[in-house]
Amino acid sequence: MFDDPLLLARVQFALTAGVHYLFVALTLGLAPFILFGQLGATVRRDDARMRAVRFWGGLYVVNYAMGVLSGLVMELQLALNWSGLSDMFGYAFGAPLAVETMGAFFVESTFLGLWIFGWDRMSRWAHLACFAVVTATAYLSAYWVLVANGFLRYPVGLRMEDGVAHVADPAALMANPSTLMAFGHVCVSALLVGSSVVIAVSAYHLAQRHDPDRMFRRGVRWGTAVFSLALLPTAAIGSMQFILYDRTPPASGLTYGPAEIAEIEAGGRAPGVFGGLGDALMMGSWALMFLIAPVLLVVWLLRRLDRWRGVLWPLVLLPFLPFGASVGGWLVRETQRQPWAVEDLLTTADAMTDMTPAMAAVSFSLFTLAFAVLATVTYVLLVRFARLGPEGGPLAPARTGGTEPGGVAEDPPVHTF
Amino acid sequence: MEILAVVLLAGLVAGYLVLAGCDIGLGMLMPYAARTGTERRRAVSAMAPYFLGSEVWLLGAVGVAMGLLPELKAVVITGMWPVFVALLAGWLFRDAGLWMRGRMRARAGRAVCDMGIVGGSWTLALSWGLIVGGLLGGGAVLTPFAIACALTAAALFALRGAAFGAERLVPAAGAGEAGGREPARAAAAGPAGAGSAGVLASGGAAAPKVAGRSAETGLGGTGATGGAFPAGGEGTADNAVAADTAARATRPLARAALAAGRLAAGASVLPGGAAPDRPLTAAAVALVLLGLLAATSGLWGPRLSRHTSAAALAAVPVLVAAAVNLPVAPVPDGVSVLFWSAMAPVAPFMVLGQVWLYRMVRRPAPGPGFFA
Repeated sequence: MFDDPLLLARVQFALTAGVHYLFVALTLGLAPFILFGQLGATVRRDDARMRAVRFWGGLYVVNYAMGVLSGLVMELQLALNWSGLSDMFGYAFGAPLAVETMGAFFVESTFLGLWIFGWDRMSRWAHLACFAVVTATAYLSAYWVLVANGFLRYPVGLRMEDGVAHVADPAALMANPSTLMAFGHVCVSALLVGSSVVIAVSAYHLAQRHDPDRMFRRGVRWGTAVFSLALLPTAAIGSMQFILYDRTPPASGLTYGPAEIAEIEAGGRAPGVFGGLGDALMMGSWALMFLIAPVLLVVWLLRRLDRWRGVLWPLVLLPFLPFGASVGGWLVRETQRQPWAVEDLLTTADAMTDMTPAMAAVSFSLFTLAFAVLATVTYVLLVRFARLGPEGGPLAPARTGGTEPGGVAEDPPVHTF
Repeated sequence: MEILAVVLLAGLVAGYLVLAGCDIGLGMLMPYAARTGTERRRAVSAMAPYFLGSEVWLLGAVGVAMGLLPELKAVVITGMWPVFVALLAGWLFRDAGLWMRGRMRARAGRAVCDMGIVGGSWTLALSWGLIVGGLLGGGAVLTPFAIACALTAAALFALRGAAFGAERLVPAAGAGEAGGREPARAAAAGPAGAGSAGVLASGGAAAPKVAGRSAETGLGGTGATGGAFPAGGEGTADNAVAADTAARATRPLARAALAAGRLAAGASVLPGGAAPDRPLTAAAVALVLLGLLAATSGLWGPRLSRHTSAAALAAVPVLVAAAVNLPVAPVPDGVSVLFWSAMAPVAPFMVLGQVWLYRMVRRPAPGPGFFA
């Protein structure tokens, strides 16, 4: 395996993209919970709800950090390992990514900084507005990345000049059906991820009868509501994408004729096992979630959602399902395109930078190792903070003096913000 | 239309170097300037808003290079692949250290994070120097010229970090402590001797400002401010030591940068040295850069080191753009329309957010925050 640079580069990208998406999905899914939680706290001037925002916000920030780091590696990996892609599609593929970094990530990161550092320094409405900008730009960011990704799957609005693709129709690029459907699917499935994390963390604390400020009771209810509501749209929007499966993209034929395309596809389809595995993972996880949701709703109706340990303890493992489904979904989407990097226009082999096996191996081992370490540390931290609860989180208010374990800090800073 | 994209790119890189110079430089100097646990914590909390706010400038620059100027990206990044891998690895470990440091409970964990921060900062500074050297020298990065450029860049970043540290490593204090600090700082400055009085003026000038601001914070802000710090320690004489150490380092660092810059200028005429397309313009910008460093290394220069180091770092992308004909193709209309129309609605948010963030963090944080 170590003598094939293409395989190494592909596996490296698959690993980093898969890990990156896990953090992205939680960022997207958790942001609305925090935004609406903070809205409730701000409207009611409620210190208790604001402490809950601090708790979930702490998890959000730790997760966001790793999302940024892995996104960074993704973007530079595209430049380093896949220069063939940007040689030919630098404009069409690169422009949406440029807009994403400049227009979405730039603003998101700046306002998240304002949110973190401005906790006790700005008015409560300004502080809420900062997180509203963070949420909006997080979704904007997802949209622009999917413009780039949807273009790979279904190239539209192109014109070829001297072997370089130019954007002939920016509107078509932005309204690419592959992009819009994937964006819808990502949005609702991210809500599944976010709500299942909220449910799991709340269930863990409720099972131990630990519920400061009743935040976990609210968490498990809001989580269950969003979880149940997001299930069907996820499947519906997801399966809508099948209509693009056999459709030839509008830009097909610009670089290869139909005969050449058929020949390339005959030789290089990805082994069906990956797609099948992804499919099974995604559909199986969804089916399980579809069985769990009614159980939760019935228990809620019986008013036992925050009490029955028999239900609460298994719920701690709930996030594995949507996370697994997310990875499976991307496995399906990305392997299904092979052997093309850009459907019908550029093969994956041609998209790769001309690397020696040694270069590919160095890049692969360096970044896979770094990623493994960072992802592990991040998840260890996330689990640790989730278990510590609101008293020990990263955004927890500064303790003054020796408060007893389980006690609330003496100076809740909420009234000062 | 490409001139607009080039100006945007140069602006983003210059903004990145000026802002990130603060946190990268302070990270490089951490083992020297911030030795105790409290000082380390203060150094990290000074760096935190800057690294979060400044790295978006670099990502924005990479985005612009990828989307609007792909030829440039292909030549620069693909041509200097190993340096960029090192840069990326340094960035990764540095960021991980900064994010994780406040989360570590064990001393060993914090030490690992400190290693990541310091090593990553040095890697970043040296890699940027190599990249500038490679760009000026026509792509080769293992020449005496590029290595001299790397040394110059390291000294420049460290100078910026020292100037930043002289101002920000001063402890934040409540209203009660603010009055007591200035005599303490004077006492700390005393033994340093008359020779470095000019150097210390830079750190000393910052103190009343910070004291005034923290007095404001103490009056108008949280009731928790006074109690936020663990008993004792903060605001006493020995805790301003880190700021003074950093202030005192500005002049030697400016001298080191000047010496390395002269070395680079000398190496540029050697075979394998610089190959500028416009030698006269390049020499003019280089002279401005060296002049700024020379001014900083004088007796009164360090007092202005915050501004001169910023100008010197901002001169670097100007130098590259002035000296070399970088491969830039006209940006096609479709891409321009897409990019600028998508950017127009968010541009006010970008300006607002950055200005707001840096204005807000001019005041020291009232208590332990997320990063430290």
